Amino acid sequence: MSAAPEGGRAGRGFSYKALIIGLVVTLPLLALLYMGLSMDPHRMDAPLVGKPAPPFELHRLSDGQLVSLESLRGKPVILNFWATWCMPCRQEHPFMVSAAKKLGDKIQFVGIVYQDKNEMVNAWLDAYGGRGYPTLIDAGTKTAIAYGVYGVPETYFIDSQGVIRDKVVGPVRPDELFELAGRLQ
Amino acid sequence: MAELGRLLILAALALASAGALVGFSAGRSGSARGLRITRGLALAFAACLVGATGVMEYALITHDFSVEYVAHVGSLATPLHITIVSLWSSLDGSILFWGFILAVYTTGFVLATRGRHEDMQPYTLATIMAVGTFFTFLIAGPANPFGDTPAPIPTDGPGPNALLQNHALMIIHPPMLYMGYVGMTIPFAMGVAALLKGRSGAGWTRPLRRWMLIPWGFLTCGIILGGWWAYEVLGWGGYWAWDPVENASLLPWLTATAFLHAAMLQERRGLLAGWTLVLLLVTFQLTILGTFMTRSGVFNSVHSFTQSPIGPTFLVFLAMVLIASVVLVAANVHRLAPGRPIESPASREAAFIVNNLLFAAFTFTVLVGTTFPLIAEAARGVKVSVGEPFFDQFAVPLGLAIVFLMGVGPAMPWGRATGAEVARRMGPPLLGGLVLAALGVALGVRDVLPALTLLVAGFAVSVTLRDVWDPVRARMTAKGESLGRAFASALRRGRRRFGGQVVHIGVAIAVVAIALSQSYQIIGEGVIDKGATLTVSDYTLQFVDARSVTEPHRERTIATIAVSKGGRDLGTMEPALNNYATEMNAIGSPAVRTSPVEDLYLSVMSIDPRGQSIGLRVFINPAVAWLWIAMGVMVFGCLIAVWPTRRSEASGAVA
Repeated sequence: MSAAPEGGRAGRGFSYKALIIGLVVTLPLLALLYMGLSMDPHRMDAPLVGKPAPPFELHRLSDGQLVSLESLRGKPVILNFWATWCMPCRQEHPFMVSAAKKLGDKIQFVGIVYQDKNEMVNAWLDAYGGRGYPTLIDAGTKTAIAYGVYGVPETYFIDSQGVIRDKVVGPVRPDELFELAGRLQ
Repeated sequence: MAELGRLLILAALALASAGALVGFSAGRSGSARGLRITRGLALAFAACLVGATGVMEYALITHDFSVEYVAHVGSLATPLHITIVSLWSSLDGSILFWGFILAVYTTGFVLATRGRHEDMQPYTLATIMAVGTFFTFLIAGPANPFGDTPAPIPTDGPGPNALLQNHALMIIHPPMLYMGYVGMTIPFAMGVAALLKGRSGAGWTRPLRRWMLIPWGFLTCGIILGGWWAYEVLGWGGYWAWDPVENASLLPWLTATAFLHAAMLQERRGLLAGWTLVLLLVTFQLTILGTFMTRSGVFNSVHSFTQSPIGPTFLVFLAMVLIASVVLVAANVHRLAPGRPIESPASREAAFIVNNLLFAAFTFTVLVGTTFPLIAEAARGVKVSVGEPFFDQFAVPLGLAIVFLMGVGPAMPWGRATGAEVARRMGPPLLGGLVLAALGVALGVRDVLPALTLLVAGFAVSVTLRDVWDPVRARMTAKGESLGRAFASALRRGRRRFGGQVVHIGVAIAVVAIALSQSYQIIGEGVIDKGATLTVSDYTLQFVDARSVTEPHRERTIATIAVSKGGRDLGTMEPALNNYATEMNAIGSPAVRTSPVEDLYLSVMSIDPRGQSIGLRVFINPAVAWLWIAMGVMVFGCLIAVWPTRRSEASGAVA
């Protein structure tokens, strides 16, 4: 069926049209993947350490008052992102409350609830360790995105100048918390 | 030990690059000696990779923590069979495993082609070796599993990723998928050789159809096993979530399936030569893209445990493959036989062409949906995720149309069919479809989509069964053979076709299972105190007890749930939560009670520390078991089509 002679080499009959169509299809895909490499979602975390903490202004669960990071300036802050549907948060919360009791005069503890509903949050706090420090509601998860929260719990250690000193992904171990808190002072 | 491994890998790298160079030059000169050397180099390359894999396995089994990969994934507490498979539990090892499979395929190809297609072999082997050069380069450099563990050498390690230790399917799913992915290298290399030799005229696909069918069968198996594993282990009650990595395995499957059909059209009618070629090249590119997606960490996925720094290297390789393919096609476009235009839309050709368009559309939408988060982030700087609704929206109609065509294609004759012929060929199978749909409605199917699925699947199966039966009956009447004898000889004569028909039946079963399980899943959820019950549909679930078991590598909390259905006692089920020493989150082990009608699927969400209450999610999934059965049927069909017979061995030499 094929009338074309076989065994020829590229050069004769090279189709620039096919070449251009092929490149138009493949090059943008490659460019996109190349950009994808530099946007690695898992590596967004590290760059924040040593940088000023992204500002936020969120409603407090208890009274709906707006609380901003700015208003907490002057005291180191331990910022704990969590959610009611997160299992490790349950293990972590009672300890966070007791740590806040112990360190509360030197360090401001703040919980930010992520992707959740107010009534669920209240019920959860009643069930798993109570309210030792303010809980803020991150409506629309803007703050979590600004901090590059990848999963909950995640805890940020912010010094009194508002610079992120450390972050912990997953539940914070007691020794780790006291050690990192010590570094903030 | 690490040193021996490194040495073997470097030898493999040298042999692969030498093989690629000698192969290409032998391809140009047509030198018989060049071919002999290339074949020798290919076998030596394969031997080195197999040896390196053996060294790694030995290091794993003997817990030689001075080898970095062993220190990374090994653990004295891990059971032996898990230790063996932890070769592919983490990135560096899985790339080595990849190389091992390429070595197996290379050996298979060299041995199977002794004295055959000798003119095509040098370029084919050269291309395989070029791919091998890339992978051994990865193993030797960016993803080297044979690094020395920095002192002090630990006395124990963390063990492999917990998800991999959770279920026996994890032992078999990755190898199947890899056999599928890596195996696509062979038909790709044969296609490249055909292009380099200027042999892309009529019939060039014939010798490589079998080499495509083998990885296709593995890929089919790997994809469904992956779904099965997710279903048995992840605890969210489903088997497919359009996760980027799942999509990455589906994409080459779609193009490979399209290729197998296009190649048939190309062989029989000389149509779609260029298209067939593009499908072949794209299939291989998609396997590389898929690996890139899994390994680079660009996408968020359940497989994110495999992210690593090899992304850039992979991207360079992908770019080289893509650009070389484009140039090769551009150089050969003038040689591609356009074939005769199709005579009539009422023909098998037309059905095949529409089938290919649908597969292409399916591939394109899955690709766009998967990469859309990247596009959105690049264009607008926002993070978006593309969820199931998007994919389902197009996958359902496209899937239904493909299954319908799976009936239309074989039902129609080549060339042209008259109206009366169309009615005669399509009528009875359509009736078969209607009967199945009516049966479904009688059994409680009340929605349009599942009913439609039953209709098209019933139609396709009816066509297939008639196709199987017709030649058997013809032999029985013409030659007076007995049923068994006629069947055996019909099978012998049309093995490949018969295999294809069996695969079609498997596809129809799978599609029905998917439609029913997606449409009629029942979900219940609740917190149950000890002794109390939860009722979901007609199941009553009583929380009897929770107990903790300490195993070497994990702590399990097992809940005992007494199950009864409509008052009939069905015994107990034991979903569990596992805490691994190395994982911060508890990982569930759902309990699944499978029956041909429906699965009862229990997943523990939480167990209170005193074991007095549990949070339980309950799924009732109809017909899921048929998806696994369908996999068996499809693999069986594929085996029938691929299995070498003495006749095809002989005819292979002249094909």
